[in-house]
Amino acid sequence: MVDLGQQVIFLLIQLMLLTLVAPLVSGITKKLKAYMQNRLGASIFQGYYDLAKLWQKPTVITAYTSNIFLAAPFIYLLSVLLAAAVLPLGFSVNVVLGDIFVFISLLAIGRFIMTLSSLDAGTSFGGMGGSRELYISALVEPVMLLAVLSAALQPGTTSIAGMHINYTTHYFTISSALSCCAFFAILLAENGCIPVDNPDTHLELTMIHECMTLEYSGRLLAIIHLASMVKGLLIINIFSLLFFPVNLPLLIKIIITAAAIAVVESLNNKMRLFKVRFYMVTAGVLLLLAIVAQ
Amino acid sequence: MMLKIKPNELLNSAEICAAKGQNALTAMFGADERELGAGYAIYILFTDLVSHDIKTIRVDFPADSELTYESLTPLYPAAAWYEREINDMFGLRPLGHPDLRTLVLHETFPWGYYPLRKDVDAKKQIRGQREYNMSTAQGNGVFEVAVGPIHAGIIEPGHFRFSQAGEDILQLDAKLFFTHRGIEKLVEGKSIDEALIIVERICGACTIANTLSYCQALEKLTEEKVPKYAWLLRMLLAEVERLYNHVGDTGNLCAGLGFAPIVSMGSALKEKIMHCNESLAGNRFLRGIIIPGGVRKAISPETLRELQVTLAEVEKGYENIVELLANHSDFLNRVHATGIVRKQTAVDLALVGVAARASGIDVDCRRDLPYGYYHTMNFDVPVEHSGDVYARLVIREREVTQSLKLLRQIINNLENSATQELSYENANYRTEEGSWGISESARGSNLHWLMLDKKQKIYRLFVRSASYPNWPALTMAVQGDIIPDFPLINKSFELCYACVDR
Repeated sequence: MVDLGQQVIFLLIQLMLLTLVAPLVSGITKKLKAYMQNRLGASIFQGYYDLAKLWQKPTVITAYTSNIFLAAPFIYLLSVLLAAAVLPLGFSVNVVLGDIFVFISLLAIGRFIMTLSSLDAGTSFGGMGGSRELYISALVEPVMLLAVLSAALQPGTTSIAGMHINYTTHYFTISSALSCCAFFAILLAENGCIPVDNPDTHLELTMIHECMTLEYSGRLLAIIHLASMVKGLLIINIFSLLFFPVNLPLLIKIIITAAAIAVVESLNNKMRLFKVRFYMVTAGVLLLLAIVAQ
Repeated sequence: MMLKIKPNELLNSAEICAAKGQNALTAMFGADERELGAGYAIYILFTDLVSHDIKTIRVDFPADSELTYESLTPLYPAAAWYEREINDMFGLRPLGHPDLRTLVLHETFPWGYYPLRKDVDAKKQIRGQREYNMSTAQGNGVFEVAVGPIHAGIIEPGHFRFSQAGEDILQLDAKLFFTHRGIEKLVEGKSIDEALIIVERICGACTIANTLSYCQALEKLTEEKVPKYAWLLRMLLAEVERLYNHVGDTGNLCAGLGFAPIVSMGSALKEKIMHCNESLAGNRFLRGIIIPGGVRKAISPETLRELQVTLAEVEKGYENIVELLANHSDFLNRVHATGIVRKQTAVDLALVGVAARASGIDVDCRRDLPYGYYHTMNFDVPVEHSGDVYARLVIREREVTQSLKLLRQIINNLENSATQELSYENANYRTEEGSWGISESARGSNLHWLMLDKKQKIYRLFVRSASYPNWPALTMAVQGDIIPDFPLINKSFELCYACVDR
């Protein structure tokens, strides 16, 4: 039995690692995308440079905002870090901090507070971004729960570690192949990737996630960017732990997933906003089939 | 053909010249001819597709008369912007105009300031205040989205005001002319060659079209003939300009829906042609090669060969892009039935170029008002009928094919040309006589109207590039679409700010 102090230290190491690696993973995806689009692209460390740059910039806050605007980035980052603490990455095996529902709910808290802050400044772009984000999440969350169900059915537990151990013994079933495809679709939507959102666009009218943060600048924006990158990495982690169809070291699975995102983002264009529902329904049907196949 | 009339005869004359709406309103502009003893004038140009000519109406306003006339806009909506501009620039007021807000002069100008009148010194600093109210929709739950004039990308300034019900666009109003340069005023009193340098720089992407229209307007004022060799070279340049624009615009369209690989492919191909431009003209934007009377320099056999190699590469690369797009169902889903301009709207607004041809209007001034040696060439004018983003894309794709076909014929002709005569020499131009020149730019017909004074200096130059009549179509096209589709619809028109900020 490992004592509590050691557990806390392990947990902190896990959080630090995830936070430190997140910009790198996003940088790798961007670099791969650039290669596939005949561009050289920025360095894979660009994520860190951007955060450092934003950290040095002054923060401009409009007079029309309330304290929610100030608090939102911190709550967002905190919710993401708490969610990160739930992940069983080998550092905190014996402590059960929460199951997959806690994980999803924590991410939902982050989304809720960001949507609230997007409305706070009272700009039309913020409202548009917020309404689109909720529209997407209203579609993603039920499908995400279906995905959880399909992964939890076999092991009979909703603890991520339990599901993971079970999954390692059940590679290459029809069911797992279906849920792998479906969760990848969810991952793209949740991480704001093409075909649902375009993370690289400068066209403010088409943005979803970026639209909500248009009023932020300086350090607050840096915190939001960091939280978003960590959140993206967490979803990739869940995909790698529970839905990746081959048994490989976690780090390699993460890199392969990042590469797969880059490929999908390069081969597709953004779909019409109101077509996202059909896209999510497709993922949902795949998951239903996956559950039936079990 | 020119019809000289009094203001009260305007509606009747316009009806005759429009021939029941068959002839499109091509341009409308004012002139201050008080020094010539004629008062103010409004010129109205209709394109007659039967006689392949432009019919001109000249409305005289004696300087001491009341400077008003009955607005043409209720009958010909295409006149709306022109009349607003004449009202801004000359103070000739259309009565019964449904929307007589200021157009070119924004809030910082005082009322009663008419910069294109000859007695106004445009160099004098002026400050004032006037109103510019954006037109918006009202109602329960309707909100406005203001975009620009400063945008996130590196583009020119324009302010767009969307009236929204959720994601649906109810109404769009565009406020342009933020960087109006007063070029029409600037060239007044300048010599023909000085003005040429300025005209070349009106727009970066339409250098040849603008120069060609300007030179043609001049050349109509003399009996001298432009040599055939020079004309062939001018046509070559015009088609190369169309080609690099269309290839780049096809790629850029994909930026509107986040399809980055095609954007890169389009830019790469466009860059290849622009390298070729450098060999042709000494610069990437084809400046300084066309002059009144002909061209400045001949094309060397090496450059011609380089061009042929580039054309072959571009053809192959472009076919690749077209094929990729044609087989991409997600892409097609975005462009089909998005941003529709109905044929009647296109007729009403007298659209030109790609936008007109995508909505079923069969116009192309290379064929309709032939200039140079286009009538000896074999080419088709593609027409589509759906009027959506897809139609405008397909028109561009097919025009690239036609331009390549034309270029091969022109190169063939150039190679077999016995002489290399570049231009006529020392022409004397008729003065105090208006004349027009037109050319088909990548975006549509580009019209210049010119009058010289007794010293062979510019007395009045009017420039109507292709984007001018097409801008209002954008506000019509987005109605019924959702706001995230706006960038895509906007890019499918590829409208130019500099072209209207002349």
